[in-house]
Amino acid sequence: MNRLNRRTFVVSALAAGGGLTLSISDAHATRTADEFTPWLTIGSDDTVTVRVATPEIGNGAMTQCAMTVAEELGCAWSHIRTEFAPVNRNYMEGDTFGKADDYLVYFGGRSTGALRMETLLQAGASARERLKAAAAARWKVPVGEIEADESVLTHRVSGRTLRYGEVAALAANVTLAHEPALKPQAQWTLLGKAAPSKLNNADIVMGKAQYGMDVRLPGMLYAALMQAPVQGGRLQWVDAEAVRGMPGVHSVVVVDPTEPRGPRQAKAPFTLDYSAPQSAVAVVADHYWQARKALEALPVVWEAGDGAQWKTTDQLKTAALEACEQPSKVEKSVGDAEAAFATPGGRTVEAAYLTPYCDHATMEPLNGTALVAKDRVDVWHPAQQTQMTFAIAVEETGVPPQNVHIHQTFVGGGFGRRVFGDDVRMVLAVARKVPGRPVHVIWSREESMRQGRYRPLQAVKLTARLADDGMPVALRARYSGRGLFPMGMSDTALMSGLIPNVRIESATLPLHILTGPYRGPGYNSHAFFLESFIDECAAAAGADPLDYRLRLLAKWPDPAWAKCLQTVAKESGWGERTPRGEGRGIAISNWSMGGKPRAGTTCAAVARVAVTPQGELSVKQIDVAFDCGRIVNRDAVLAQLEGGSVFGLNMSLNEALNIENGRIVEGNFHEYPMLRMADMPKIRCHFGGLSGHDRFTELGEPPVGPVGPAIANAIFAATGKRIRQTPFRNQDLAWS
Amino acid sequence: MSKAITVNGRALAVDADSETPLLWVLRDHLGLTGTKYGCGIGQCGACTVHLDGAPVRSCQIPLGAVDAPVTTIEALSFDGSHPLQLAWVSLNVPQCGYCQTGFLMAADALLKAIPNPSDADIDAALTNICRCGTYDRIRAGVHRAAAGREA
Repeated sequence: MNRLNRRTFVVSALAAGGGLTLSISDAHATRTADEFTPWLTIGSDDTVTVRVATPEIGNGAMTQCAMTVAEELGCAWSHIRTEFAPVNRNYMEGDTFGKADDYLVYFGGRSTGALRMETLLQAGASARERLKAAAAARWKVPVGEIEADESVLTHRVSGRTLRYGEVAALAANVTLAHEPALKPQAQWTLLGKAAPSKLNNADIVMGKAQYGMDVRLPGMLYAALMQAPVQGGRLQWVDAEAVRGMPGVHSVVVVDPTEPRGPRQAKAPFTLDYSAPQSAVAVVADHYWQARKALEALPVVWEAGDGAQWKTTDQLKTAALEACEQPSKVEKSVGDAEAAFATPGGRTVEAAYLTPYCDHATMEPLNGTALVAKDRVDVWHPAQQTQMTFAIAVEETGVPPQNVHIHQTFVGGGFGRRVFGDDVRMVLAVARKVPGRPVHVIWSREESMRQGRYRPLQAVKLTARLADDGMPVALRARYSGRGLFPMGMSDTALMSGLIPNVRIESATLPLHILTGPYRGPGYNSHAFFLESFIDECAAAAGADPLDYRLRLLAKWPDPAWAKCLQTVAKESGWGERTPRGEGRGIAISNWSMGGKPRAGTTCAAVARVAVTPQGELSVKQIDVAFDCGRIVNRDAVLAQLEGGSVFGLNMSLNEALNIENGRIVEGNFHEYPMLRMADMPKIRCHFGGLSGHDRFTELGEPPVGPVGPAIANAIFAATGKRIRQTPFRNQDLAWS
Repeated sequence: MSKAITVNGRALAVDADSETPLLWVLRDHLGLTGTKYGCGIGQCGACTVHLDGAPVRSCQIPLGAVDAPVTTIEALSFDGSHPLQLAWVSLNVPQCGYCQTGFLMAADALLKAIPNPSDADIDAALTNICRCGTYDRIRAGVHRAAAGREA
């Protein structure tokens, strides 16, 4: 008997226990009275509320948005607070918030995009001038005689003062004849100067910050989730009756990916296909532990599907490496690389590299909470992309977008994992089977790790032709995998002018493992490949790795690259002698340059390592220099560089997922190790590479590129061994 | 079945299976969500609380085995004025912040045992995981709090 039909019992049993009504606070779904613009309100108590359209995943986006407003508003920092911009209102008002940025940054990403900064600066400036106009009307004096600073309006002539809050209601209704001009950057007093404590720090250290995992609602049920262990597999059989009597159990929910869903009615930054539901079962109970125990006891049979063809990790790696030996789809061709290879003379350097699947391993396991009623949906979610969350909720429930409300929570780590929204898809797929009750769906750590949207496994074969002077005249990259990202390969300086003849080809393998963005997508593998390989070219040319890179960059029109290299070289003691078994390695890469100089963020690193003859590796020190143009918050920049370096370090030293009969093997931190306090090398971040060019580009991703290859190149310097795969802990580093 | 435990100085009766990990008792039954679920196997330390003053990983302690007073992050201070909390805020230690309450509970236990810890003491006592990579600032925060206490 196919027990899937038991679902009927499941749902009706719940409906009987329902009938609960919730009053849900969603006060800012429409314009509020104290609103100057949708981005900004000022209350009569002087409180300035900045609405932030970027989830706070730990990079300080909320605080940065508040600083940007405060720069022009002239309010006291202690009066500022933030809340998340409501995506429902954005939909209802035709992109109120979204039009201030491109698709990626809008309700995701970072806070220092040019358009976002301009919008927030303008919101602050406009509110300031309207406050002045209101004070001028109150005092019947010319507006030019009024100054605004620290949340106080002062009439210079008479010395009279008003607090912002005293005229806020009046000012909110003032219409200016012209929007004020923004201050030139040179006159900024907060941006680039101050580094306040992040606004949510106080709540975090008291345990009060509400992450997705901390949502508590009246009548809330908990669900423990299990998706098909081989991704893309299907539920074959489940015996819901077997757990019906277990303590606290309300129901067993089956998620069927083939069930009809609603129309796609809301604009989304990525295709909703990336969030496609997986075949799954969930147990719903009064408490999480009850749900989890019942899920563990639930008899389930899965049909593995095509993924089961991949019996071992080695089988997969071999297939990926073999695919790089044949010509494949041309992704980019500049000059004529094949003709250069066919020309006699010079020497050829060739090597194959591979990076494995990696999981984001956010400290907050995947989770989310939803209340699906007949005509309204509420979702409380630690999203990295709130607009994606909204569009998915609309599609999954079939409820019209105007009745869908997303309540963004803090996010316990993103790193790209919570962008595509497969998590909220599953939350809604479960919750819609339990209508009228809020359901908090929790992935166990094991479920989170084994149901990732992973950094893709990728292999590459790189071939270079070096001219008589040792410099490359042609470079060919043939890579393979599935779900790959091009960033950091086709858009690099190497492939965009440094080498006259380049050819990039890619092969797609029939892999079933689901992939997604992982801190510096594409770039996190490509930087390792290319910067290790350039080191191999330098060695073949008999050149110092730093000198070789500087020669390569000699004609590159962005001098900050060389400046970053020279900064890390100087700070790290590059060139100083090291005993055998110790060495330094260098690497440089750029995140999001799009093939252009003076774009994206350039990041150079030097690593110093020691390797015992038995092959035990220790990373002693990492020096990092960078160029993102300009900076608005020195301490936040440092935090991202430090964190990004640690992330790149762990990825390169430790991280790899294995496959067994199509399943992911590793499920928790004892199998997928994380660096801890005692493992930390000294990480030193230097500002000497900064160019001052007019841009404020990202800092979270850039260090993830050069740290790994700098270590691999240092291992070569220390031992003479070239390491062409990560993680390094799995490589034989022994030397004699 | 009801079990009497003392949490943050309050005597409470918890109606949960005795095998339920203290972590989930705190979070789901008592609403003390400052104690975090990270791994469930005692690896990451996000769930660190004090049991009779000693730091323990609450995911590894079944309710039935709770035989001493429990202190959670909610009672580290009631207003954020604990020297560690002040140091964490002023040094901008947290990034995503999810693991930080566990670190703070481990650090507080360390400072009670060793008021002025060395780097090696910190390495040995703070074995928690932070995926954002805030380790260097955590170390600085412990030193700052220790110095403040001495003063």
